[in-house]
Amino acid sequence: MQNMPVKLGFMVAAMSLTVTACLPLEKQADKVSINKNPFPSTYQPLPQQSTLLTNATVLTGTGERLDDTDVLFVDGIITQLGVDLVADDVVTIDAQGKWLTPGIIDVHSHLGVYPSPSVESHSDGNEMTAPNTAEVWAEHSVWPQDPGFQAARAGGVTTLQILPGSANLFGGRGVTLRNVPSATMQGMKFIDAPYGLKMACGENPKRVYGARKQLPSTRMGNVAGYRAAWAAATEYKLAWAKYQQDYSAGNNPVPPQRDLELDTLMGVLEGEILIHNHCYKAEEMAVMIDLSKEFNYHAGTFHHGIEAYKIADLLAANSNCVAMWPDWWGFKMEAYDMVEENVAIVDAVKNSCAVVHSDSGTTIQRLNQEAGKVLYRANENGFTLKAEDAIKWITFNAAKSLGISDKTGSLSQGKQADIVLWNSNPFSVYAQAEQVFIDGAKVYDRHDETYQAKSDFLLGQE
Amino acid sequence: MKDRKFNSVIQTALALSLAMITHLVGAKTTAITNATVYTVASQGILEQATVVIENDKIIAINPEQFKVDETVDAKGRILTPGFIGSMNALGLVEVGAVSLTRDSRDKKADITFDASLAFNPKSTLVAYTRKGGITSNIVTPAGGDGLFAGQSFAANLSGDFDSVISKQNAVLIYLGAISSGSRAQALQALDHKLADLQEKLTTETDKKEKKVKPLKRNEQELKSLLAGQKPLLAYADRATDLLALLKLKEKYSIDLVLVGASDAVLIADKIATAKVPVITSAIDNLPSSFDSLHGDLSNVAKLVKAGVKVILAPKGDSHNLNQLRFDAGIAVANGLATTDAFSTLTANVADVFKLNSGRIAIGKNADLVLWSGDPFELSTKVDKMWIGGKEVSTHSRQDALRNRYTSKTNMPKGYVK
Repeated sequence: MQNMPVKLGFMVAAMSLTVTACLPLEKQADKVSINKNPFPSTYQPLPQQSTLLTNATVLTGTGERLDDTDVLFVDGIITQLGVDLVADDVVTIDAQGKWLTPGIIDVHSHLGVYPSPSVESHSDGNEMTAPNTAEVWAEHSVWPQDPGFQAARAGGVTTLQILPGSANLFGGRGVTLRNVPSATMQGMKFIDAPYGLKMACGENPKRVYGARKQLPSTRMGNVAGYRAAWAAATEYKLAWAKYQQDYSAGNNPVPPQRDLELDTLMGVLEGEILIHNHCYKAEEMAVMIDLSKEFNYHAGTFHHGIEAYKIADLLAANSNCVAMWPDWWGFKMEAYDMVEENVAIVDAVKNSCAVVHSDSGTTIQRLNQEAGKVLYRANENGFTLKAEDAIKWITFNAAKSLGISDKTGSLSQGKQADIVLWNSNPFSVYAQAEQVFIDGAKVYDRHDETYQAKSDFLLGQE
Repeated sequence: MKDRKFNSVIQTALALSLAMITHLVGAKTTAITNATVYTVASQGILEQATVVIENDKIIAINPEQFKVDETVDAKGRILTPGFIGSMNALGLVEVGAVSLTRDSRDKKADITFDASLAFNPKSTLVAYTRKGGITSNIVTPAGGDGLFAGQSFAANLSGDFDSVISKQNAVLIYLGAISSGSRAQALQALDHKLADLQEKLTTETDKKEKKVKPLKRNEQELKSLLAGQKPLLAYADRATDLLALLKLKEKYSIDLVLVGASDAVLIADKIATAKVPVITSAIDNLPSSFDSLHGDLSNVAKLVKAGVKVILAPKGDSHNLNQLRFDAGIAVANGLATTDAFSTLTANVADVFKLNSGRIAIGKNADLVLWSGDPFELSTKVDKMWIGGKEVSTHSRQDALRNRYTSKTNMPKGYVK
């Protein structure tokens, strides 16, 4: 009670300040801007060791196979590929009879947000409380102790995008992680990787919200929901542009009211956030492409894309990546028209971007085999694909989908040394990753327990 | 044919009983020659061998002479028994999320539930599953609200209307962690049910009354469990649950089979000693619950090494059952012997479910697969397969869709059939 006069005094002062600030031609208030990176990466490579891998069969990730080839990386960067390379102060690994590929990249994972053990307390992958939750960020749900990260690393996965679930039209932001053990999400965050925005077509949103008697309960309701959101985002973007323009003109405009949902959508309209769209069916993907043109953004990567083979030309013409399973199907109606050659049919079109994804803590451990199944089934039915083609689907094309192909996804000079040493052709059922490197640091060794990390959760369990 | 190398011991043995094979009038006979035959039986692997089929049965292996309607030259390729799937709802579901196509679950389903009445051999899953070299399958319903989840049945994958082989061939029960209540309740209820019926049967025998009340249907099923006439397939993961089940087996002499059994590796010796088979996935290695903290890709190899009879079942749902052979390959990559891996998909299943298949031996069903290469390899496909002696195709709806969309036409693809 005694403090009250003081508090009132503060309020009066604050109000007068506000009134003063609104007057035109007064001194400009500090410019308001949106911090686009409020949860910055603190990732540091693990202890690096410059290494020369000799006499390997190398799949570059960009369509080439190099036999009996040496690969040299120094300070985390690939410096040379060639024959009989010589280097000082490096660890030499005899890779005779073994295969080298870029580190495997999974564009669709829920590790950390739907972790093991699958308990209610950790079910943090989908904010199923409104059809548009573009304001949520999957990174805020990531539990870095998910033992699935270690299992995926043993399968050669060096980079992965963690996405929110697919119940919503806009599920929120995805985050791209380095697959290294860390106590924090920030410690895994891929430096300078663009954010993703998860969207979902089809059955899931209309089922979840339809059951609550709210929009969307139909596919047309889905599209109405997307359009309303993009229309609002367009206005939001204009409002910010006007604010900046006015401010630059020396005025003292009031900034638009901050809206976290629209921040994310605006990021897409500005080309900084990439769309990752759960979308199975041909007719829906075609609508999503037109939608993106209506609101002037790129439709990004279609995930699951069971029917991509029906519109492979359209997808390539619009530069969409499509992330697919080799053979999952039938769990719902929109997954009924699976063909085992889907990836190959999409891949066969010029300028295509076919990706094999997991969406699973199990198959992420063997994305090489997932790609292998496509390779062999397609070749049984008229295709002439090779190992050097199939590896693209889980390396370079995946990196392209995530907007990081300038940094990783291929074995070439200047790229990050994200490398898997396989004991044999990775497209064999018996293939195993022997050693895995991220940024030139060994993060996994099948034959050396000191390079086999274990989650806190599993430590000390009997 | 002239350079066929017979195993001399086998040749002698067979020559005694099968000096000459001639077919009966009206019977269809086929000889698969020059095959690398994985018998999954005492004969092991036979090189450049001949297997003769008459109607639905294998009638000869490496006969000295044979006269048949049809000869298939395997050109050295591998011939195996057809693989046998288990623990899935093949034929009871077409589309997972379409309730009208699901028949594996019913609130009222109890121990008597016979889901074979709902089996649809024309489901598109059946032909697709054949691509995995699977010729028959143990179909398991998901049950209802009660203690027991109904009974499994065996069906072949011919796609014919008469493809159910045996119905109500095992009783299913799900045990372990539950979201509401205690796991102890179901274990105790199972014990009590068996005890109560055993007591009732003993009492009635003692009474020696002429008019004994007939057993109710559910009691008849329990009785068949107590008599060891059919297995109890118990889903459980944590070691304490598995041990509790082993005790029940000891107490009531039931024919117990453990399913899932993530922790089996912790008590492998006990399971082996009790001669209890384990049906499990080779790839279920994540600690998906507090009941399964010890998953590892090498667990199947460890169980087999300890002497446990293992059957490989799919981790996922029924639609991708044909991946089982790859799971076997993954188990091999993680330490399982190849010959044992074949048993997990053939002979072991046949033994547990009393099927006349799963081995290439005289008198067995001619459920056979001729492979383009190593059956577990990703690059291998089924070249030919026979179910009950009849050659079946692996062509599925997926192939029809692919052919449509890879065809060249000026008209919409809808005209391509």
